[in-house]
Amino acid sequence: MISLASDNLLGTVFGVYLARAKDEEIRKIKVASGGAVTALLTYALEKGIVDGVVTAKRIKGLEGQAIVAHDKKELLEAAGNKWSIVPFAARMKAKIEEENLQRVALVCLPCQAQFFGQMRDFPLLETDFGERIKYIISLFCMGTFAFEAFLNYLRMKYGIKAEQIKDIALKKDFLEIIYDDTTLALPIEEVYSYLQAGCLVCTDYTGTWSDISAGFVESEPGWTVLIARNPRAEELIKNAEKEGYLELKEGSHVIGEVLKKAREKLARAQQNMMYLL
Amino acid sequence: MEKLKVLHVDIGGCEGCNVSILRAFPNVQDFVELNMKYLAKKTCAEDKYDMVIITGGVCMNEPHIIEKVKSLREKASTLVAFGSCATFGGILRFCRGGQEPRPDHRNFQPINSVVKVDYSIPGCPPTPQMVQSFFKFFIAGDERRLRLFKVCADIKKLSGFDLIDDIVLTGLCIGCGACELSCPTQAIKMIDKRPNLIAEKCIRCGTCYVRCPRASQLLCMGGKI
Repeated sequence: MISLASDNLLGTVFGVYLARAKDEEIRKIKVASGGAVTALLTYALEKGIVDGVVTAKRIKGLEGQAIVAHDKKELLEAAGNKWSIVPFAARMKAKIEEENLQRVALVCLPCQAQFFGQMRDFPLLETDFGERIKYIISLFCMGTFAFEAFLNYLRMKYGIKAEQIKDIALKKDFLEIIYDDTTLALPIEEVYSYLQAGCLVCTDYTGTWSDISAGFVESEPGWTVLIARNPRAEELIKNAEKEGYLELKEGSHVIGEVLKKAREKLARAQQNMMYLL
Repeated sequence: MEKLKVLHVDIGGCEGCNVSILRAFPNVQDFVELNMKYLAKKTCAEDKYDMVIITGGVCMNEPHIIEKVKSLREKASTLVAFGSCATFGGILRFCRGGQEPRPDHRNFQPINSVVKVDYSIPGCPPTPQMVQSFFKFFIAGDERRLRLFKVCADIKKLSGFDLIDDIVLTGLCIGCGACELSCPTQAIKMIDKRPNLIAEKCIRCGTCYVRCPRASQLLCMGGKI
């Protein structure tokens, strides 16, 4: 019912890199990946390329909130995986207008990147603020949780309360929930049904409307995969390396792995669409 | 480089779209030769145009308008329906009793009910910047970015109501808040992370639908809901 050319899956790819932060402080906090996004944004903020970074911060349990970071400290506080969608759009507009930001970098999920990308390319409304968005950085995404339901499940089956959860990480086929001092590994199949239905029909893994897509692959632990989608994004990454914020290496050999994940997401979407639509 | 020869014709509406195109004129005149009645140019003078932009809905009770649209299709290599009235009928088509503006002939249709349209740009009205980026991507031949508007050209109705039906009630909404931000009349409010539509306020421009990441993704994939 849906046909999509496979070269379309990752969108425009200008360059692929493996990167990690040079800064030890960033790397310590970002255990899962190389912290390249945080380092890249630190560079952009400190050199005045952007005047604010809008991102999501987990406030309690799995709930997130949109915040504006102005320096490295604020960025580090927001670092880490989010597992729920953040009602970004309206709050973001309020934030941008409140602080009168002119050059913003956004860190968001593929769906949000699509919305902001479309807004920037095609401003349909007078109230659009696309020209203020300088960089859109999209994170690889396999879906977000309908987190009330998911938290209920965790509470009922495992007795874990939302406040106890410190972090959630994806390791191979297991979802590791770190709470108090214990780690609970849940098989992915077990929690699949708690993903939001909208995410189950989404086909975009990397965020094709973004300037830079970031995420990690299993074969290169400790490194972040960065996909630059236009010359402007490429320039930012290269300059961050030059200025000593990033450690960079060529990453075209991992694109197959990213593509495999993207195909998985597409296959899942097609399967689910048959049930849902 | 030769300029893109563009003709703009208005077939009825509030003039919002026309003003929008006119406002974009200073920024596009380097690469677009715009024929428009506001620019005191003789419109429809030539046999062939690279692009014809039509604004406003077609009144089905007026044969001469239908004839005009058909003749414009003949003249156009690419036909663009600009604004919600031209694309989906918008307020002209869907306004109900007692609401202003109240057209006398109650039978308005989108352009694609009469002729084949190549690109449809919804919005009430779409901004001048939209006109600029559309020309930019059109001249560059960026099909991927224009895909959404190409798909819209075959659709006769998109509105907040369709968004609620297709995305929210089917459970596909993920609660990102894009629709709330893109409604020009603030008809959509997020309540408990899901959009709620105030029916009286919706002018059926379809902006929320094409802006919804899920809906636009499904549209672009050709997955008809």
